[in-house]
Order: sequence, then structure tokens, then C-alpha cells
Amino acid sequence: MAVQEAKRANRLKSGKLVNKLVNEYWEDLINAKKTGKKVVYTTGLPIGPFMAAQDMAWIHGEGYGARVAARHEEKEPQTFAENKGFNRELCSYARTQMGCAMFAELGVPDDLNPGPIATEIPAPDAIVTCYPGCSTGPQWDWAIERVFGKKIPWFNVVIPYHMGRNGSTYMKGEEFEENVKYVVRQFEDLIKFLEVVSGKPFNWDKFQELMGVTKKVGKLRMEAMELCKAKPAPASFFDWSIQIAPVNYLTAWPGTVEAMQAVKDEVQERLDNGVSAVPNEKYRIFWEGIMNWNKLGWMADKFASYDATVVAGRYTHMAFWHEPDTIDPEHPLRGIAINHLECQLNLGYPITEERMMTLSKDYSIDGIVFHGARTCRSFSRSHFLLAENLNKKMGIQSTSFEGDMVDDSFYKEELVNTRIEALIESLEAQKSRG
Amino acid sequence: MTSKSDGSSFYTMGVDSGSLTGKAVIIDGNRRIVSHSVKQLGFVSQKAVMMAIDEALEKAGLVLDDIAYTVSTGYGRKRLEIAGKNLTEISCHAKGANYLYPEVKTVIDIGGQDSKVIAVDPSGNIKNFAMNDKCAAGTGQFLEVLARALDVELTEIGELSLQSDADIKISSMCTTFAESEVISLVAEGHSTVDILSGMHKAISGRMKGLVGRVGMQSPVMMTGGGAKNIGLVKALEKTLGVSIFIPEEPQIIGALGAALFANDFATGIRKKVEEEQDLDKSRAPAKDCGSCSVQNYQLNKN
Repeated sequence: MAVQEAKRANRLKSGKLVNKLVNEYWEDLINAKKTGKKVVYTTGLPIGPFMAAQDMAWIHGEGYGARVAARHEEKEPQTFAENKGFNRELCSYARTQMGCAMFAELGVPDDLNPGPIATEIPAPDAIVTCYPGCSTGPQWDWAIERVFGKKIPWFNVVIPYHMGRNGSTYMKGEEFEENVKYVVRQFEDLIKFLEVVSGKPFNWDKFQELMGVTKKVGKLRMEAMELCKAKPAPASFFDWSIQIAPVNYLTAWPGTVEAMQAVKDEVQERLDNGVSAVPNEKYRIFWEGIMNWNKLGWMADKFASYDATVVAGRYTHMAFWHEPDTIDPEHPLRGIAINHLECQLNLGYPITEERMMTLSKDYSIDGIVFHGARTCRSFSRSHFLLAENLNKKMGIQSTSFEGDMVDDSFYKEELVNTRIEALIESLEAQKSRG
Repeated sequence: MTSKSDGSSFYTMGVDSGSLTGKAVIIDGNRRIVSHSVKQLGFVSQKAVMMAIDEALEKAGLVLDDIAYTVSTGYGRKRLEIAGKNLTEISCHAKGANYLYPEVKTVIDIGGQDSKVIAVDPSGNIKNFAMNDKCAAGTGQFLEVLARALDVELTEIGELSLQSDADIKISSMCTTFAESEVISLVAEGHSTVDILSGMHKAISGRMKGLVGRVGMQSPVMMTGGGAKNIGLVKALEKTLGVSIFIPEEPQIIGALGAALFANDFATGIRKKVEEEQDLDKSRAPAKDCGSCSVQNYQLNKN
């Protein structure tokens, strides 16, 4: 049954290296205009190398929202966006960035007192949308365009669902191959768009070099995560959440290879020395749902208190260059398309279920926590079905609670506690049955 | 306190600090219910919990020091200082339901803030469970709000709804939106009994979804304050196509389960103390020690 005392998660120390990279990226971004760089707003999938190849700066909307929330500066921009008509039920990433963009364009109202990060966002010279599995994303960028008076060039890469039609499965089949070709054609057009915005021919040499870096970082991350198939796990889902930045908006940023190598080395060292992420691992949990960025430490310690390690998740393990071997740095567009098409949000239900079952088996999962983000229903659309089928097919029990990505007003702590504790008690009862 | 060999003077208590009510159950060493109490004052009211404890003790003719061990459950479970352990309502309802009806396989609990479905194994442990994800839709709070909107006593809504043969649909299960929908239905001229019947059907439809996630197996028991609403019980029976067993006092099942867990813990501790005593006796000759309290089981109440 649930323990009564508080315990702390043993988080990876090398995780802090990411902070240095994030700070460098941010300094570069806020000074971009001063150094003559164009700024591109992006949402959705990690496409930074396209802009980096042209020496342009980019702001990834969700990454930015997560950073503002991680610094606990999200309330003021969210309030401003709501005051301007962006309803509380809309994507909280979008509301956060919209508020920040409006601070930049309209100025800060007297009754709000936002933090420094929330007011430093530079205005965009272009917008590139690259959203899988979400219809809010393109509308978010449409709204950004309107905030800036519809003067911003905008390119929308459409990532079609991989539904699994006519026997098409994960990275296989006619539907998959057609989708890859469709996305590659759009990337070719995106390159032409960026040539116009930047005013110079696309720098293929630099792009290929950056995609070589992306492949290395992606591979290191996947190898490090796979070391956590060991029992007890040397690192947890909450460590991997911290490591999203180097494979998301920091993709191919200088220093990401070294940072991810350090993470892998630390995980290997822990494994060699029998050091675990949770001091007394009794249960292994799968986190299903998008991450809640302002609750990372809180959640990590909460599960540690229950002697439970969250070892894997759809968010961390099924996206962000999770298929690095498909990337050919000499001809990178196909590999980028594959990673983006086969990401966690873009798969039809049968493929999602198959991937989750595979991960649950590989990581010896005892239970699943379904986090239904209140303002990201596209992520939680299959939760009930997944809960039912993983229980029927694998005997895995689960619990679900509602929260959010970056709006913590949707959390009610005791409701979350009860649901997690009930799962732990249920798993204990299951173990006692043998 | 000392323990009689027949267990009749060994008492444990379960306390359910629920979102709307406080409940306490005291059982003896033979796991027989000695007394119980249910009090309602306000949301997760500590005062209601203490009143329930005091009343249960008074009915049993006991004082707090007579209780060997206490387990708490419910939303306020962590705030009860006299509890040695706390457990969620899921475990406690499963245990309590199994005690009253050992064959039970599915427990439906509609409480003040949560609704849950629990698959129970033959030992009274959780096999599987499903809960509402967060909001109070379809819970006791939902019924309270709508009863108030219709100006009907909560205790009357069950019987009243059975008088209806209309088929009114309430589409929203959000408490706030449902209130608006009820106001709209009243304005359209629908009768109170028809609206109440529609409410119960709406809750039953939602519960069917939770039951489906766990997989319903008969026999089914319903616990929590919702089980006292005969209109809701009948609507659920119709929707699920099963007969539902309702215990005599459905609101105390969580506290009863907690009391049974308390008995398990206390018995375990008592057994351990006795084993240690036996070991000590076998190791060293007994010494006369006037201040020794070895025979008094001072069980940890913190």
C-alpha cells in the first residue's frame, strides 16, 4: 500500500548540462535581431536545423511555453491571452505564447507584472507550422499572424496521420511510404520558402552537418533510455523529460552531442554501480500523456515516495528523433519525414496500441498512469481505449487523472494523489496474489 | 490495554474522511462491527470526522485509548493524526464490500466527489479499478447541486424520480452545465420528477462507461451515499442489466474496510510483539521488573 513518508527521486546530475545549452540558445534568440538574424516562429515538430542552416533564429512555441512555465512565469501571459479572448480551455502552450507575443507587440498592461522571459520574445519574420495530430497548432499560428497584423510570411507543413490503412504498420506499408513522399515534397517547398525569407540559397552543407549531429544525439538518447530496461531503472521518465530540449527546439544546437553523451555515461555508470532513480524500486510505471512541465519535480518525488519508477512514456519514447537510424545525413529529408510521421501524436490507434504494448513489455511495466491534459485532448483521445485494451491483453492496470501541460490551475493535488495511490495499492494487491 | 483471548475487547477503528461526510466504524478483535457513525457538515470537514469518531466511541462504550489501531481513508485521510496508516477509498471499499458479501466481484461506489468501479478478488483485494478522471460529474456533489436547483431534498430525489415514465435526456454531465440544462428544462415546463429521472439515467450512462473499463462481473454491490438513492440504483440496474446488492448502511463501507485493515495491521503487530516476547523468554530467564510494560500492547498510533 501507499507509503506515508516523503522520499526524493534520485535525478540525473548531468541533466543540468541542458540548462547551459538552453541559456545559450535563449541569449542567442533574444539578441537575434541585434545580430541581424531573422526570427522564425515554429510550432509542432523539431525543425530547427532548417532555420539553423540559413543562420536564422527560431522560437519553438511549445518549448517556449514550457520554458516560461518551468520558470513559473506562465500566469501573466496566460491571463493576458485570456483577457484578449483566448479561452482558458484552449491549448495552454498556445495561450502562453500568445500572451508573450502580445506583450511584445502590444506592450505590457499596467495591471500585469510578467517575468523577464515572458517579455523577451522577439517578433517573428516568418512562421513555420509543422504539426502532427493536432488541429489547434495551425490555428495558433494563424492567430499569431493576426496579432502581428497579417504581415508575417507563413508556411504550413501538413503532417498526415499514419492511420494504418490497408495493412500499413509502423514504418511499413503503402500508406506510410505515400505519406513520407508527401512530407518530403513539402520540406522541399519549405526550403524554397526559407530561401526567400533569408534572402540566400539554402546551405545544404550546413544542413547535412546539422542532421549528422541530430542523428548522433537521437541515437545517444535512445541508447541511454534503453539502459533503463534494467531493474531497478537507473533513470526515470522525469529525467528523459528534461532531456527533451536537446532533441526538440535545441535540435543540433552546439554542445548537444556532448551533453547527451554525458547523460548516457552517467546512466551507464549508475547501472554499473547499482544506483537507481528511485531508492527502493518496487513498481515500474508507464506515463501515458503529455508532460506537465511545472510539475516535473513534484511528480518525480511523488512517485519516488511510492517506491515507483516511471520508466517510460509515449511522450519521451515515441518521438523526438526516436528512429535515428532512418536519418541519412547526406539525404536527410526522408529521415526527418519518417521521424515526424511516426511520432507519438501522429499514429492511428492500432499502431499506437502496438507501440505501447511493445514498450510495456520491453520496460517490464506494472502499471500505467494516464495523464489527460485538459487543454490537449488530441493527446488523450485514445486513453480509455488504451487503458481497457492493455488491461485485457497484458493485465496491466492503470489510473487516470486530469492535469495540463503548463496551466497548473487544472491540478487538484488530492485528486491526483488518490488516483496514483489507488494504482499503487492495486499493484500491491496484484503482487500479493502472485 | 490488555487483550482477551476471545478478541472481544480488542478494538480497531476505520475512519472515512470523505468529501461531504465523515464516517467512523469500530470493530472488535473478532472483526464484528461494534458501532458506526456518519456525520455531514461541510467539505472534508474535520469537525464532522471528529463527531463521527466521538459518536462511534460513545455507542461502543469506549474511549479513544481503547482503540488499538486506526486506519483512515477518504479525501481527508492524511489529516487524521490518530491514524496509524491511511489508504485510499478504493482499497477500503473493496475490503468492506468483501466482508459483507464475500462473493461480490464488482463494487460501484458513488461518493461525494468521486465515482468509481472496483473489481474485487475473493480476498477483498483490488483486481482492477476505474475512477472519474477529475470533475464531480455524476457524483454526490452533482446530485446535491441539481437537487438544490430543483428545490428538492436530496433524500427525496430517489423516490420522486421513480414516479416518472418520461424519457428526458440530460446531455451534459458537467455539474455547472447540467445545472443550466436543468434550469432550461424547468423553463420548458418539464416536471421535477421527470428531470430527476433524466439525471439518474445520465449518471447511469456515465457509470456504464466506467464499468466497461473494469469489466463487470456479478454479483455487484453499490456503496457510498449514491446507493441510498433508490432512483439511481434502479436506473443503474436497468442500464447495466444486473441486480445490485445494497448494504444496510452503504455510506460506511469505506470506513468498515479501513477498520478491517486496522485489524490486520494491529493483529500483525500483536503477533510480532508476541513472537519477540517468546524469543526474549527463550533467550534469557525472566526478570522481575515492576515497570515493564511488555504485556501491554502499546500500538503505534502515529
